[in-house]
Amino acid sequence: MAGRQFIGKPARRVDAADKVTGRTRYVADYQLPGMLYARCLRSEWPHAVMTHLDVSPALNVPGVAAVITSADFVDDGRFGFPVRDQYILAHERVRHVGEAIAAVAAETPEAAAAGLHAIRCELEPLPAVFESAQALAPDAPQIGPDRSDGRHPNFLHSEIVRLGDPDRALPQCPVVLDAAYSVAQQEHAYLETEGALAIPTPEGGVVVYASNQSPFINREILASVLGLPADRVRVIQAPVGGSFGGKDDLNYQASAQCAALALKSGRPVRMTFPREESMIASYKRDAMHMRVRLGALPNGDLQVCKFTGRLDSGAYASQSVFTSWRAAVHAMGAYRYEHCHVDIDCVYTNNGYAGAFRGFGNTEVCFAIEQAIDEMADALGQDPLAFRLRNCLRLGDETAFGQRLEESVGLAECLEAVRKASGWDEKRAAYARQPAGPIRRGLGVAAVFHGTSLGAEGADYAASTISVAEDYSIALTSGLTDYGTGAATVFTLIAAEELGTRPERIRLLRPDTNTSLESGPTVASRSTMLGGNAARLAAQNLRQMLDFAAASLLNCPQNRLLRVGEAYIGPSEEPATWERIVDHARSLGLILSAHGRWSAPHIHWDSQAGRGSAYIAYHFGAHVAEVTVDMRTGKTDVTGFWAAHDVGATIFPQGAMGQVYGGVAQGLGYALMEEARYEAGYLQATNFDTYLIPTAKDVPDITCILLEKPYSQGPFGAKNVAEPAMVPAAPAICNAIAHATGRRVRDLPANLERVLLGHALSHSDGGLACKIGLARPR
Amino acid sequence: MLIQFTLNGRPVSVEAPAHLTLLTVLRDYFHLTGAKEGCSIGECGTCAVLVDGELVNSCLMLAPKVAARTVLTIEGVSPADGSLSDLQEAFIAYGAVQCGFCTPGMVLAGEALLAQTLTPTREQIRTALAGNLCRCTGYQQIVDAIAAAGAQRKEVN
Ligand code: FES
Ligand code: FES
Repeated sequence: MAGRQFIGKPARRVDAADKVTGRTRYVADYQLPGMLYARCLRSEWPHAVMTHLDVSPALNVPGVAAVITSADFVDDGRFGFPVRDQYILAHERVRHVGEAIAAVAAETPEAAAAGLHAIRCELEPLPAVFESAQALAPDAPQIGPDRSDGRHPNFLHSEIVRLGDPDRALPQCPVVLDAAYSVAQQEHAYLETEGALAIPTPEGGVVVYASNQSPFINREILASVLGLPADRVRVIQAPVGGSFGGKDDLNYQASAQCAALALKSGRPVRMTFPREESMIASYKRDAMHMRVRLGALPNGDLQVCKFTGRLDSGAYASQSVFTSWRAAVHAMGAYRYEHCHVDIDCVYTNNGYAGAFRGFGNTEVCFAIEQAIDEMADALGQDPLAFRLRNCLRLGDETAFGQRLEESVGLAECLEAVRKASGWDEKRAAYARQPAGPIRRGLGVAAVFHGTSLGAEGADYAASTISVAEDYSIALTSGLTDYGTGAATVFTLIAAEELGTRPERIRLLRPDTNTSLESGPTVASRSTMLGGNAARLAAQNLRQMLDFAAASLLNCPQNRLLRVGEAYIGPSEEPATWERIVDHARSLGLILSAHGRWSAPHIHWDSQAGRGSAYIAYHFGAHVAEVTVDMRTGKTDVTGFWAAHDVGATIFPQGAMGQVYGGVAQGLGYALMEEARYEAGYLQATNFDTYLIPTAKDVPDITCILLEKPYSQGPFGAKNVAEPAMVPAAPAICNAIAHATGRRVRDLPANLERVLLGHALSHSDGGLACKIGLARPR
Repeated sequence: MLIQFTLNGRPVSVEAPAHLTLLTVLRDYFHLTGAKEGCSIGECGTCAVLVDGELVNSCLMLAPKVAARTVLTIEGVSPADGSLSDLQEAFIAYGAVQCGFCTPGMVLAGEALLAQTLTPTREQIRTALAGNLCRCTGYQQIVDAIAAAGAQRKEVN
């Protein structure tokens, strides 16, 4: 970009030096004097009533300092938003395997484990439901909370989109597709497991370090379940070793458990999860069953989409209400229709619960719609990429839910970019002619649109503070967390650009509920736009003071000031260093401290009508995957990958590309190998020997193309990238498998047996293989 | 038992139970927390260190096994003056770091490979990293960084 010093230029990640030297201290790296180790007793049953719970024997175990149950929290420790159905520690009932029942703090991890063994807990198993299709059966056991509206208590939520009348229009379409798809639960597999460290304060409050996503939400929950005023609870953001949506609920529970144990024992308490416990206890990406019906004209014009989905929220609601809304809004894909109905229902089961995970509903529905679009192109005898270009949303179009796209729409350009970069036309033609043989090659495409930030889901704002310190460095805060995404670097570069100072001068302080300003949750790829705008406004406010001081020192109107590097130059052409300007500002009595708050423009969604403006802006992207399938074994190798994304504007190029590469890799895992399978409520893979994620050898070199269709409200035009980078990868790969083999894999993951046989082998021997070992031997 | 070995260039000795893993001894006895526990079953590589120049998962190695050998952790990789090694610099320049949890192990895996060849192919680099999981980066910029550091070392020599 012309005239920009830092935005869009290669930059150093602000926290990278500490990370490459191993100096970054994650929660598990903290060792405080007198610190206790905490551990939870967890349910070994998917659904049971607690008939007896006596924790007092644990206190007789040498080394045990404190033990807690739901009785140690206000209102039994109930929390959750928007549905308050979860507990810090289980109350009267457990609803999934791995649910925490009691927590012990002791001098050593061994003593904590011994304390758990001493707890007397009797669980009486209840009938359970594991198939979402059976959750609403009249005789299904109740899992969800009581409802006042007469609906089945296992019904959690539904969301709709409505346009026209698909039921009338579909039978009239000359070409019709009707297909069912499903996706399994997915584990986040962040390499750092969950953790929290709580320190009691002399005033009777508590300081919590946690690797959570949203410290302000953590504080709100802590204050409410501990019965403390908010100013007695301080949450300091610890570095996060990967999150992808996964460091919310369970970390808030761990924080509250540590805090209660710290208050009870008067000592610091740390809890970190072994991998097995993390996998068993943590929430997953939801599993979803979907049916897609599409209708088109013989010329290739899409007319109708009817999409139904059933989301398994597992034992608790967590974020599923919001997930199902995002799923509904994106279910029809980035295409124009005359008629479109979407119905997403979500239900409770006794599987581990589902929560936020990169893409948040869109990853699930995109798998279905982008394969359906391919199948429709096949039925029409059209090239799938050309078919997408013919029907995709363009500037000025209206989405199926009735939002006119007035700016920053780069989907067609993304499709053209991957077409060119991948050599689509030549390769598709060549692979169509490939000789019969055991090794087949194929090329597949998928497109994505993804609403930025929270949209009509919630109040959308962020805030930053900025101040000049004694040593002339600049301290910047944000209420949003950088859990590895590079957001801290983005905020720093934006502030540096606005102030005209070197990024090295700026120190981004860690989010801390005592020093940063509330900014809502760090979710939904909202950091760059929301947090970036807040940092920009804060820096502009500080800059006004410095410009005022410079004009005063250099004796000229502000519009005569020039900048050379950090220095200011007035008409006398004598440069004044930045430090001199700061000194002068102080001598004028200015306090060099400012803040900025940015709220997203208001938009409205009518959930009854299933229409409205869902998000302030949309990210667009397209992926092409190239695969080789061995028809003897079903083994699929992804041998090439091209990803084009309309990011609005690029602020931190290495960071944005890293989001794309990482997103593609997660999508590749989702497509080919990852399945957090529950058998009768028991998770079947509990560590990296059985839950496989892509290694460096599974991921090919990826060509990343960043396109820039600036969004007027984004900082320097930027939108978002973290989530949509993953969303279309799995369908692109499955479309490539279909191209290579002529077989459609409509259920994820596309593992050996599904590619080879077209269906999964039965796993009836799996049974209760979950390596629970969490509490005590039976 | 008393275990004596060379740790990051210094002779050390530690009195620790024989059943402890090298990872536990490094983290709890020497307070070197750069090696992380990601799985404790030898599958993720976040605990990787170099023992006599070879990349090992310290969660699987019992501490007494390093007696009289040399151990290099991430804390011993940087030059003594506190600056960064060329490989560490390359990780930053190429954007190979996101959450950072895999990074110490990745840097050491890179060092182990570059000790064998300064001109590895991308395939060779990917093979050398196969025991180190990264959930954030998709590996590409890590491969870029190791290749670049190798080329730079080659030029210098
Ligand atoms: S902790 Fe050692 S390999 Fe995972
Ligand atoms: S940078 Fe997060 S696991 Fe590699």
